[in-house]
Amino acid sequence: MSDSSASFLERHQFLIYRLFSLAGLVPVGAFLVVHLLTNASVLAGAGTFQSRVDMIHSLGPLLVPIEWAFIFLPMLFHAAVGFVIIANGLPNVGSYPYVGNVRYTMQRATGMIAFAFIIWHIVQLHWMGKPLGGGQFDPHRAASSAAAALQHPLVAILYAVGVLSTVFHFANGLWTLGITWGLWTSPAAMRRANAVSVVVGLALAGAGLGSLAGMLTLDRDKAQAEEERMEKRKLQFEPAAVGSPEPAAHTGV
Amino acid sequence: MITAAHGHDGDASHEHGHIPAARMVRVRVLRQDVAGGESYWERFEVPYEPNMNVISVLQKIAALARSRDGRRVAPVAWDCSCLEEVCGSCTMLINGRTRMACSALVDRLVEEDGEEIELRPMSKFPVVRDLVVDRRRLFRSLERVKAWVPVDGSYDHGPGPRISPEEQEDAYPLAECISCGCCLEACPQFTKLEAVRREDESEADFEKRRRAAFDSGFVGAHAISQAMLFNGHPTGKMIADERLQALTAPGGIQMCGNAQNCVAVCPKRIPLTRSIARAGRAATVWAIRKLFDR
Ligand code: SF4
Ligand code: SF4
Ligand code: FES
Repeated sequence: MSDSSASFLERHQFLIYRLFSLAGLVPVGAFLVVHLLTNASVLAGAGTFQSRVDMIHSLGPLLVPIEWAFIFLPMLFHAAVGFVIIANGLPNVGSYPYVGNVRYTMQRATGMIAFAFIIWHIVQLHWMGKPLGGGQFDPHRAASSAAAALQHPLVAILYAVGVLSTVFHFANGLWTLGITWGLWTSPAAMRRANAVSVVVGLALAGAGLGSLAGMLTLDRDKAQAEEERMEKRKLQFEPAAVGSPEPAAHTGV
Repeated sequence: MITAAHGHDGDASHEHGHIPAARMVRVRVLRQDVAGGESYWERFEVPYEPNMNVISVLQKIAALARSRDGRRVAPVAWDCSCLEEVCGSCTMLINGRTRMACSALVDRLVEEDGEEIELRPMSKFPVVRDLVVDRRRLFRSLERVKAWVPVDGSYDHGPGPRISPEEQEDAYPLAECISCGCCLEACPQFTKLEAVRREDESEADFEKRRRAAFDSGFVGAHAISQAMLFNGHPTGKMIADERLQALTAPGGIQMCGNAQNCVAVCPKRIPLTRSIARAGRAATVWAIRKLFDR
């Protein structure tokens, strides 16, 4: 049994590794970008953030299957293959401390950190009760409930590490993906692509840390008042609830 | 640089008016008496000479056949041939990094890493004895990707097609590969495969098992680059698809993790990562084509 499954994986190794690479970009990486930009909207106020969350939740009963099909399952696939890759590699930065090799090793380390962080992130916001300042995320009290869950300093630090690792993993992965698929082949093209990856990485790191800072500095009472106001309005105009406050702002996300 | 340092030494001894004590080169070698056996460190010391390289140090050690503490020991075994970095046989780990022993100058090593020089056999290939390793897998990889121009036959094929100077310029650097295996040694994705013959196994069965292990292991940067060399050659191209088939088979190009150590350690400065990315591109196109041609 294990023999035939091993040979199945081996026979389709090229396809599996390419799907692994692709999954890192779409849908998993694309989701990361949307997620971080959505979160960063908290910097524009609890109301803006709330309306973005409302937009996502307007999917209603479809939200959970969509999350599984386009986020969780691809992510688990990417993680599973990733762990196989990590297990088969033999990092050697000690002997060969070249930039590319450091990045190779970091890619693996940040992948594992990102995986642990994302699992914890989901558990913490969905089910974890009070310990370590956990708190349930409430889609109707988006900013205030998320901010409440992040207040413990240790949580904030772990989030910063988790977000930065995830962003590094994505940005560096973007660059290696281009080599893997043959998008950039010459050293000069690789350098240019690298510059783009660095810019993408810095922008996402800014969005991620910005969201975190936005949540930590949020005036939670004011935010909650705003959220309650919005909820009342939504209940009044039930069918048109989808992001009515400022529709123009949604297009970019 | 080396002559300058030597000249300086000479000046210094003149100034002080005495002959300096003979300078010694100290070496630490990771030895192994038989394939699969235990490895152990042995230290040696040989008189310094200007412009020495690691091979000349090893030659002196062989002549001496004594360890630093004066014991008579079997001479250290190593591989070399051309002594000018073209045969690719003298690869070893010198101060922890893979490189050609014949072009590793003692003066530079001492300057960069300190007095004692450390020599170890390559870690990704089975040790035959001391610094000699069995690199059959490296050559098997070249067979896997058919790194040749298919011109065998019983009749005259006529003159080959012309190759433009641009194509030549592109191909020449790839043709400089000396099959030294440095790129494999430094690659974090290329791991050692050492098959040991079972007691109840015939030589033929053992050979078959080893071949199978080789054929599913990572082919390595050198073979990927050679595949690109011959896929770019007007006659070599005729079996381009077979090479792409091999490159996308188990252990193919997908195993590369883009650490780019290979290109950093290649003594011939072969643009390996360019070859790898080109192979990636060719594999992408080939896989899509195969999908729709079925
Ligand atoms: S590609 Fe470079 S490092 Fe690799 S075998 Fe050829 S010459 Fe040696
Ligand atoms: S780029 Fe690929 S082949 Fe080269 S060292 Fe890295 S993993 Fe190995
Ligand atoms: S002896 Fe030929 S490469 Fe060193």
